[in-house]
Amino acid sequence: MEKKDEFYIGYMNHLGEGTKRTTKRFVLFAIGILLLGAISFGFFQKEAVNSTFDFNAPTKISGTYQEAPYPMLRVKLGEGTFKNVLLLGFGKFGANSYLDDIKQKEGNLNGKHLTIEGNLIYYNGKTLLEIDDSQKISLTNSKVKDYVLPEVMGKQKLTGEIVDPKCYFGVMKPGYGKIHRSCAALCISGGIPPVLVTSDNNTLSEYFLLTDLKGNPIHKDILPYIGQPSLLRGEVEKMGDWYTMRIDVSQIEKLDKKSSIY
Amino acid sequence: MGLDYKLVLWNKHKKTYDKIIALGMLLYLVVFVALTLALNPETTAETMIIRAFGSLAILMLHIILVIGPLSRLNPQFLPILYNRRHLGVSMFLAALVHGAFSIIQFHTLGDVNPIYAIITSNMDYGSLTNFPFQVLGFLALLILFYMASTSHDFFLKNLSPKIWKGLHMMVYLAYGLILMHVFLGAFQQETSPFTIGIIIVGFITVTSLHLITAFKESKIDKFNSEKNSEGWLEVCEVDEIPNDRAKIFTVGNERVAIFKYEGKLSAIHNVCKHQGGPLGEGKIVDGCVTCPWHGYQYLPHNGQSPPPFTEKVATYELRLNGKKVYINPNGFEEGTEVQPVTC
Ligand code: HEM
Ligand code: FES
Repeated sequence: MEKKDEFYIGYMNHLGEGTKRTTKRFVLFAIGILLLGAISFGFFQKEAVNSTFDFNAPTKISGTYQEAPYPMLRVKLGEGTFKNVLLLGFGKFGANSYLDDIKQKEGNLNGKHLTIEGNLIYYNGKTLLEIDDSQKISLTNSKVKDYVLPEVMGKQKLTGEIVDPKCYFGVMKPGYGKIHRSCAALCISGGIPPVLVTSDNNTLSEYFLLTDLKGNPIHKDILPYIGQPSLLRGEVEKMGDWYTMRIDVSQIEKLDKKSSIY
Repeated sequence: MGLDYKLVLWNKHKKTYDKIIALGMLLYLVVFVALTLALNPETTAETMIIRAFGSLAILMLHIILVIGPLSRLNPQFLPILYNRRHLGVSMFLAALVHGAFSIIQFHTLGDVNPIYAIITSNMDYGSLTNFPFQVLGFLALLILFYMASTSHDFFLKNLSPKIWKGLHMMVYLAYGLILMHVFLGAFQQETSPFTIGIIIVGFITVTSLHLITAFKESKIDKFNSEKNSEGWLEVCEVDEIPNDRAKIFTVGNERVAIFKYEGKLSAIHNVCKHQGGPLGEGKIVDGCVTCPWHGYQYLPHNGQSPPPFTEKVATYELRLNGKKVYINPNGFEEGTEVQPVTC
């Protein structure tokens, strides 16, 4: 008549009926919780966009090198159409250190024709190239040509979020906002140009490369403002198919609202 | 008690539990990955791994945290308590995959070392919504690592049960850090009422089960009775104690278990020498008080583990007056023989 007073001892193989039932119920319940959890966490994710990083398929591109404010290659697509491809380094670094070797050999590269093999990153009409080896950069024509001067577009007031373009345009998903913020800070501190992704309806562009008031690159100073909805003011210029904006970092206004880019 | 002795004999259940844990985790990962691939095909493998293992770990942690109070409320949950350690280590491994992939993806290949990057790449420590939530996850992972690596019986023996138990109470600190990690991190951006709801319901379940258990046990501690003229305490009537079982009372500042067996009454200190299990919730098996947690045994009349084992607990003197049971609140040395009272 042990049935009312079951007692489980771990080192004995015997389990009372009630204990067996409770154990089974608990296991089923726990598995139910796991299933419910897997369905909820799996189902309720924001859908990622189709940004792309060709990490295992290298591409060779050729174009006119343009150093300021951030290294780019102006690639001819067809008669009269060009694309400015932003150059980046491996990992969370900018392209500059990869260009040092060839600069030492060839001097100033601005306006010269280079061929670079790297991995493409692209989304929404913008293309970037990751360079992982300075040996994959070569000078294909040293005569200066096609050099475009920036076009002044006037003062603008824009809202959006500052991202690192490498992750945003393809390497990571999501590549913006709170979750990604620490990574973006590392990328930008490592030399990747900061980009403003706008969330307003300005008539110019969704993307702006940010520079200081003199048009020089900014990295460390902008770190506290990354990955948060903000309002920026500054002089906008157009360089090929990229826009740049000269800002005073200390004038960036953080907006107290939810992230709304992509 | 001999550890080898147990290891050999509880293999059968242990293996079954381990299989269930592995299958449960696999089921979770398969369902999560299948849903993600079907509904969110543009996502990256890294993000999928980070999310699958992070969410798996936090759900497992909730399951782990309800086992303790459930088995205090109903001894039928004890077999699960018994195997909780492996569940804990498995949860740590899931959290480790999540944390390691997060660190590799977000914090490596930069201009500073990854651990330094976790702490410094977002300096908004003063803000709630912008707080560097990764730091919270990192601290929690360190605690879980520490607990998982000291979970073996070797450490239990070498750290003394009290210290071991204390260290393992840090799981609550880790739980708090993880909740903050998720609410100040992922939930700020990946906001869904369902996932948030699951975690909130989980938190409420865990806390209320702990509160109910604490309340139940505080009733024992509040027990107060008149001392008679010689300093003996009246505790209960004989019939209130079931056969081969005990009732627990707090006398002085100690919990004492009064057992009834073979028409006799004996009182011993309630705290098991192994990991502090409540002996008064155990049962007399083969003439020995048997701890409900891992089955250590003590003889009721002298508080000693039967040879060859050497554990000893304090014993207490009882007296019967009609149906009323009295106890002398001054216990004896551990392992002191006391004549049981017949009832
Ligand atoms: C080194 C330690 C850790 C780091 C760097 C870290 C980092 C992260 C990151 C970046 C996210 C957002 C992922 C996304 O939604 O795309 C996240 C989410 C999450 N973390 Fe952690 N975490 C760590 C430790 C932990 C631990 C120990 C747990 C608990 C068991 C945990 C549980 C979660 C959960 C439940 C989520 C939300 C679901 C998800 O998105 O994965 N994390 N963590
Ligand atoms: S606490 Fe482990 S046997 Fe008592």
